[in-house]
Amino acid sequence: MAIENDSQLPIPDRQAGRTVRTLRRPKDDEMTNLVQSPRGATLRIVDIAGGESVRRRLFALGFNVGDDIELQALGILRGPVLIRNLRTGVTAAVGRGIAQKIVVEAADERP
Amino acid sequence: MSAPEAPLLIFIGQPNCGKSTLFNAVAGYKAQTSNFPGTSVKHTHSLVNIDGRLLNVVDLPGTYSLHPADPAEKVALRHLFQEKPDVMVNVVDASILSRSLELTLELLEMERPMVVALNMTDLAEKKGITVDAGRLADLLGVPVIPTVAAHGRGVKELLEAAFRCLESPCRGPLPRWSAEVESVVDKLVASLPADFPCIANPRFTAIQMIESGHLFCSEFLEEIDSGLKATLDGIRDELASRRGMPAYEAIAAERHHLSLKLSEQASLVRGRTRRSWGERLDDVLMHPIWGYPVLIAVLLGFFFAIFKIGGPVESALLKPFAGLKSWLAGEFGSGLVFHVADGLASGIGGGVAIVLPYFVPLLFLMALLDDVGYLARAGFLLDAFMHRIGLHGKSVSPFILGFGCNVPAIAATRILESRRDRILTSLLIPFIPCSARTTIILALVAFFLGPWWALGFYAANIALVAVLGRILSLFLKEASPGLILEIPSLKVPSLKSIGLKIWFQLKSFALFAWPLLIGGSVVLGLVQALHGDAVINAALSPLVSGVLGLPRELGVTLIFGFLRKELSLLMMLQALGVSYQQLMTVVTANQIVVFTVFVSLFIPCLSTFAVLWREVGKKIAFLSAALSVTVAIVLSVAVRLLL
Repeated sequence: MAIENDSQLPIPDRQAGRTVRTLRRPKDDEMTNLVQSPRGATLRIVDIAGGESVRRRLFALGFNVGDDIELQALGILRGPVLIRNLRTGVTAAVGRGIAQKIVVEAADERP
Repeated sequence: MSAPEAPLLIFIGQPNCGKSTLFNAVAGYKAQTSNFPGTSVKHTHSLVNIDGRLLNVVDLPGTYSLHPADPAEKVALRHLFQEKPDVMVNVVDASILSRSLELTLELLEMERPMVVALNMTDLAEKKGITVDAGRLADLLGVPVIPTVAAHGRGVKELLEAAFRCLESPCRGPLPRWSAEVESVVDKLVASLPADFPCIANPRFTAIQMIESGHLFCSEFLEEIDSGLKATLDGIRDELASRRGMPAYEAIAAERHHLSLKLSEQASLVRGRTRRSWGERLDDVLMHPIWGYPVLIAVLLGFFFAIFKIGGPVESALLKPFAGLKSWLAGEFGSGLVFHVADGLASGIGGGVAIVLPYFVPLLFLMALLDDVGYLARAGFLLDAFMHRIGLHGKSVSPFILGFGCNVPAIAATRILESRRDRILTSLLIPFIPCSARTTIILALVAFFLGPWWALGFYAANIALVAVLGRILSLFLKEASPGLILEIPSLKVPSLKSIGLKIWFQLKSFALFAWPLLIGGSVVLGLVQALHGDAVINAALSPLVSGVLGLPRELGVTLIFGFLRKELSLLMMLQALGVSYQQLMTVVTANQIVVFTVFVSLFIPCLSTFAVLWREVGKKIAFLSAALSVTVAIVLSVAVRLLL
């Protein structure tokens, strides 16, 4: 499961009959990656499309597929993104390259 | 090291859980033997006497799981698996309980006597989380003791629980996974040969083997037992196809959900109306724009605080020693006795009057930044800039530690996952002005030429690190894996834990560095009395006076700078035969700057060289030495010609 290029990410064709767009322009799709999400958004991790070591590291820090996270800040000059796991309360900085591989969808606001 | 008869207690926990603070509270409580400053990347031993009972306490580096991702975590596991502790104290952070319990669940599998220290309960309360220690103890089946390490709260109760655990071993029930996982684990346990080198127990070993994937010596297993290797691969595939994800991920997900469940059962989360001060402060500290002025202000404040405190204290302390020197000259003339006595006085006096006034404030501020949790925030802010020099934000914390001392900073590169990042960071750290060089910069450049000169010196030094990083990364092309860095909650610094840190470091300065300063000064005194310095100075004069344009008497001081950088400063006065206040009568401002540039850069000191050798190898250590000599000569000449 080592998909290195984010343009190869599998996107389910939910709306049959329409062109499947690439991840870079996900206007019609609910799924996107971390970098393209707005600051302050509540998101759910759908997939981590990185190599095994990146996946293991994120799991070890308490970020698993299915967790709800909040995007707290995006660094300037292609800097890292700051995410907070809403279930565990852990905050982590994730480099831009890795953040692009974290596939997320909008999550319902939790109380 | 350890007394064999004392039971072995280890502290194990995830990074930033307050484990080292707890260890310091225990070790500082009643430590019997020497205690080496605990950098969090190596284990630290301490023999502790508690009410007449001895305990051999070991602090291990933080580890997120029992599957190491970096060398610091490997150290933790090696000790855990090899030393077979009599009791483990698992430190968990109550404010992020569910994540902390993931390691606890792994440790429970080992079926070793264990006590859980539920630490940072005060921080959890501030976040609106109340953890019921009794309920958690029931769920885990091992004693759970609430602690606040920073204030020493709960330490006594924790040690008592550990002693009870030694008398009647407390082991929890094994965590149970879902039926699917249990069935594959059972299958592998049944396939393990009777003589298989199990760690802890067959079940633990089996889970580790399934989870470890190709990281766990699979080639080795193929060699010794290809049948077992095939069974293991089959089991992994079976689990992967049932769950639709790799086997390691299936187990990680189970553990994650089990921890969440346990944490929800054991804690009460109150709805909060307002965010904590730490979170609101973080909005500014890590703001994509405002974070940077704050960072610059912090670094400038750091520099000026050290100078403003150190300068006046230094002047005040120097007076009695200047008097001593002229008294010695009057009493003993200029023979052997004078030179030795003068060396002794310079070594002792230099340590007290020149080094300590800058060293102590620096230690205090470093410990403060570390304790508050600012280093990780600097890592977040500087990640984008670090990418420009081929590194990422995780190297920021070793770099900042380098301003204290390069030795622990190079050891701290063990938190970096890739060897290439460790080499590049280790090659750059010797160019960071450590406390010894800060002393030289402040005591020479700032003291005689003004603080702005010293600040410019610092700025140029950081620019030099950036340029060198950029150049070196051209040769080390392999891609860096990128930043994944936990940002721990901001904490109110505890004066007690900062005090302990300063105390341990001052003790190590008094035991190792100061004797070197005194010994070096006495040796120089002897060499001068026997006129040996003239020979060395003559040999070095093409470099010292020819290339650098410095007084030729300074040649001998440069050699001693390899032992300890401050030694060059102390010896400079001794070699020129003047007191500190009269220095400007024999050298020019230009010469002071050239001397400082050369001494700061010319070679990593002996300890730094040794730690480079140990951490990244002989080749890199010599490369570092060659690099710094070249850079020092080139820059000193450039400074000489430009100023």
